[in-house]
Amino acid sequence: MPTVVCVDADEGTRTTTVDALETAGFEVRQSASVGAVEAVMDDSVGCVVTTAALPDGGVFDVVELVRESYPDCACVLFTDEPPADLPRGGRDQVVEYVPRTVSGSHDRLVDVVRAAATEVTQAAYPVPENETERLAALSRYDVDELSALDTFERLTALITTHFDIDVAFVGLVDAHEERFVACEGANWRTLAREDTICTHTILTDEVMIVQNVQEDPRFAGVDRLDELEIRSYAGARITDDDGTALGAVCCIHGEPRSYTRAERDDLRRFADEVEEQLELRRRLGDGGG
Amino acid sequence: MATRHDTRYEFPDLPLASVEAGTNLLLTGPTLEGARELLLRLLLGEDGVLIVTADTSARKVLSAFEAVGGRIDRKRVRVVSCTQERDDDLGEFVASVGSPGDLTGIGIEYSGQYEQVYARGYDSVRTGIYTLTPLLVYSEDVRPVFRFVNTVTSRIRTADGLGICAIDPSAHDDQVVNSIAQPFDARVDVREVDGTVQLRVQGMPDQPGEWTDVPPIS
Repeated sequence: MPTVVCVDADEGTRTTTVDALETAGFEVRQSASVGAVEAVMDDSVGCVVTTAALPDGGVFDVVELVRESYPDCACVLFTDEPPADLPRGGRDQVVEYVPRTVSGSHDRLVDVVRAAATEVTQAAYPVPENETERLAALSRYDVDELSALDTFERLTALITTHFDIDVAFVGLVDAHEERFVACEGANWRTLAREDTICTHTILTDEVMIVQNVQEDPRFAGVDRLDELEIRSYAGARITDDDGTALGAVCCIHGEPRSYTRAERDDLRRFADEVEEQLELRRRLGDGGG
Repeated sequence: MATRHDTRYEFPDLPLASVEAGTNLLLTGPTLEGARELLLRLLLGEDGVLIVTADTSARKVLSAFEAVGGRIDRKRVRVVSCTQERDDDLGEFVASVGSPGDLTGIGIEYSGQYEQVYARGYDSVRTGIYTLTPLLVYSEDVRPVFRFVNTVTSRIRTADGLGICAIDPSAHDDQVVNSIAQPFDARVDVREVDGTVQLRVQGMPDQPGEWTDVPPIS
């Protein structure tokens, strides 16, 4: 079960909350201030439960700090204060809220935390229906080993030449970020999932084309894409033998660009090649022939 | 919330089969009275009812709910209004957020009202959001809307509730609507033909997949 962080300056109420969560089976870390939250956060934390007011800030300072490094982490506000008395956060700092004043509030909190910590409930992107199975399928591949392979480097180099584009990559979309196992034309290692176009690509078996990122309402507001000079995108989903999406093979260009039917078919063929390589590597890793 | 409901949500007088507890439906259709009326009819029953209204005042929504046969009972019916119209005199019955762009505020008020209804013994709650369109229009970045929709549909799913969220597909890029649809179990398309409201359901095999007339309120 994922770890939960409990943030509350009042030792008495914090202890009661921690007890309720621990009794429900969670490992719980505690923090009495905004400033102390960073030290208890890591990848194992699936949910942060916080009160509204803290000595050095409030709930939305906690949310900002947590999501800066862990953008998918669920945040639950658990407080005595009614909504009208709460500090106003940014308009996009969506959190769960359980009032401590309702009867059985700790049971309610446990229910909300259980869902938030075990599913991706507060993601800022569409999550595949089979996400749990998808991540299990992805875990069968050694991503570090794949990143060290020359095969994908050669392939992405070939893709940039073939399409005359700035960047080509093979990306695997894991629980919280996309990991680039090969990238030609740029030095990208990972990208938060909410900033990626591939997290949309893995939802469709069609080759996904974004001719102009700045004119697509799904991506126009994503500053990170602008910073990376990603202006156009073409991506073909890669799946395992069962059809479960693992990631995508992608073309990036610094200018708006369209792709002909023949080019889309070519990109699909490059993705098929990556799929075959991945399957081969997985079988070798499993000790199969 | 901790125990699954055996019960299903029924839709009397509508051409829809019952659905499992925890179901989220995306109602897609033009912003017409017919679509709003259908959404409100999907909320009828003896369950708790939460209505998030983004384009009409709480007073008008409650009046429309009564007009389709809804019983206004303050113990079980609550409204979150994100319109600029003030409904302060309705008391705790209505929570006002003030702007469809304040997704944080809408989410907190929604959860707060959900808990109030739940604490009064209503462990099956129907949620209607009419509509997601202003929330998308007011947000410069679509990602917070994804977060909002994921959060609300997750609460409904894990609380064994029923969620009906409306969106006007003609107001948005197709891809945005398709992405927004991701956490929903099925899509209920609505249209009006010669004054008759019709629906069809995509994504649930036991529901009408072809355009089907919605009988007027009896």
